[in-house]
Amino acid sequence: MLDNYLPVLVFILVGILFGVGPLVAGFVIGPRRPYDEKLSPYECGFEPFGDARAPFDVRYYLVAILFILFDLEIAFLFPWAVVLDQIGLAGFLAMMVFLAILVVGFVYEWKKGALEWE
Amino acid sequence: MTPVVLFYLFAGILVFAGLMVVTVRNPVHAALFLVLAFFTSAAVWMLLEAEFLSLALVLVYVGAVMVLFLFVVMMLDVQGAPLRQGFIRYLPVGALVAGVAALELYLVVGSDRLFGSQAFPLPQRAGAAYSNTQEIGAVLYTKYVYPFEIAAVILLVAIVAAIALSLRRRGDARSQRPGDQVRVRREDRVRLVAMPAEKGE
Amino acid sequence: MGAQGMLEGLPEVLVILAKIFAITLPLLGVVAYLTFAERKIIGYMQVRLGPNRVGPRGWLQPIADALKLLTKEIILPSASSRFLFLLAPVLAIAPALAAWAVVPFADGMVLASVDAGVLYVLAMSSVGVYGVILAGWAANSRYAFLGAMRSAAQMISYEIAMGFALVGVLMAAGSLNLEKIVLAQQGGVLSWFWLPLAPLFVVYFVAGVAETNRAPFDVAEGESELVAGFHVEYSGMGFAVFFLAEYANMVLIAALTAVMFLGGWLSPFEGLPAEVLGVPVLGPVLGPGLHWLAAKTSLLLLLFLWLRATFPRYRYDQIMRLGWKVFIPVSLLWIVVLGLAITTRVAPWLD
Repeated sequence: MLDNYLPVLVFILVGILFGVGPLVAGFVIGPRRPYDEKLSPYECGFEPFGDARAPFDVRYYLVAILFILFDLEIAFLFPWAVVLDQIGLAGFLAMMVFLAILVVGFVYEWKKGALEWE
Repeated sequence: MTPVVLFYLFAGILVFAGLMVVTVRNPVHAALFLVLAFFTSAAVWMLLEAEFLSLALVLVYVGAVMVLFLFVVMMLDVQGAPLRQGFIRYLPVGALVAGVAALELYLVVGSDRLFGSQAFPLPQRAGAAYSNTQEIGAVLYTKYVYPFEIAAVILLVAIVAAIALSLRRRGDARSQRPGDQVRVRREDRVRLVAMPAEKGE
Repeated sequence: MGAQGMLEGLPEVLVILAKIFAITLPLLGVVAYLTFAERKIIGYMQVRLGPNRVGPRGWLQPIADALKLLTKEIILPSASSRFLFLLAPVLAIAPALAAWAVVPFADGMVLASVDAGVLYVLAMSSVGVYGVILAGWAANSRYAFLGAMRSAAQMISYEIAMGFALVGVLMAAGSLNLEKIVLAQQGGVLSWFWLPLAPLFVVYFVAGVAETNRAPFDVAEGESELVAGFHVEYSGMGFAVFFLAEYANMVLIAALTAVMFLGGWLSPFEGLPAEVLGVPVLGPVLGPGLHWLAAKTSLLLLLFLWLRATFPRYRYDQIMRLGWKVFIPVSLLWIVVLGLAITTRVAPWLD
């Protein structure tokens, strides 16, 4: 099994090289004539108003939290999907109970308006 | 490339990343080193042939949990200074916790009988046809179905708690509701009023 | 072990490297000409000519673009975090390329036939978010930050829909291995998974369009409001790498859709008699092979471009509503239906 993953590891390294290579080439070949105006962040010609890293709507955190929970649900569904024809009705019902419990959460989320972007 | 060489490589990166997480000043850098730590531990798990868990670690921790961490860390804009203030004050508590954790680790890993290399010999190298995911699936939904359903309940609690804690309605948000706009009828908007024509003079 | 063990493994690694370049270099060519095709095709759809000045009929345009970007200055904004600013494009392109490790091109023609292929692809695409978030944060520019937050939230929302759609594929194929998923679709057009998994096919492809931040889901860059989104501050090769990553992701989504729902390298004319397949040129063309995967992928890529030419941009709340309130319930429902069909064995095409 591990033999299969050696190419994957090498591919990830090559992928990183394909990102670093062009950047290095750009630095070597491209010119380098910085001045203040050029290096200031783009803000429609204004001087930037302070730091751009401002606090953000809490809704984004909520989406990220819900994403984690649903991602976990998917991680639980993957092995089930693969062995479904072997574990029979009991295995199927086990997942239905699991999904039913989570659908309660999903309905709660929906009714509470956590999915609305106003 | 033997797995042993790779193991020491990944383990080295993992330890380095772990150290950087707690020593680096910038919280965003710390979060990114934590991402690196998760990624390399996924690689170590892969060397143990825990294929499914390894990829699930990348999917859930790198792909989801750390995204949330980054969201939080980036937007809270915590600068290093206030974090360092209580260093001396918290040192005794921190040292105590670290000592207990180290002792526990030693008891677990150090004793050959319970967790040593005798109790857990190197796993047999599985063949190319071996499916780790199927092995997990075969027992997770049958033999361990009770813990599995408990996991669902825990996730449900997490969903409810996340919404209860962080959902705030904004009173000042204005948005279009195209549905309402389409549904509007002439009578709601236009009122025809009969006015007697005014006579001159 | 040690030095000797490393040397023994060296030829093996060289073979792997050769194979990887045999995948990535043509892929980069496809990406380069996809940008050309996009401008040309959308041009024709809007009754324009598109680029036609560089080389015969504009065919050298991508090369000219690449050279131009190469000779431009890479600007490092003064307020930015330099290291992260340069790391972000690398984190965008590495997973977009690395995911190709498990994509089967033809029978037995795959770099790594790993058992958990689908999981690996999903894990890689979830790592792609980092490029976007880091780019927006490191640049320390309001537009970039806003764009990054928007597209990060959008990408993670649609990843759930994609994950659920993939679960359906796994149920139908009974395996996580992409090669086995293709082999499970044998038997002609009607046995491909697009038919039994029709809702999931649509969900997966549309979620893929949203995941790559393409029109009509491109609020992240929405030129009219956010200038260019998370990569406003990038210039020269920094921008080029993001651009490559976006288009490499498009090709990846198209290829994966072809593999998982349209039978991959399988021929639509399966079951032809051996005499026909024995005919010199016609036989190999009608038989299964890499060219079918290429054709299906190209068709889906055309769809990507067509969508961009046809639809106006969605509003952000509409995008989130589609992802959470339509795609997730639909795919969950279909998973339950499929599960019922498989456990009660009423679905003949899912053995």
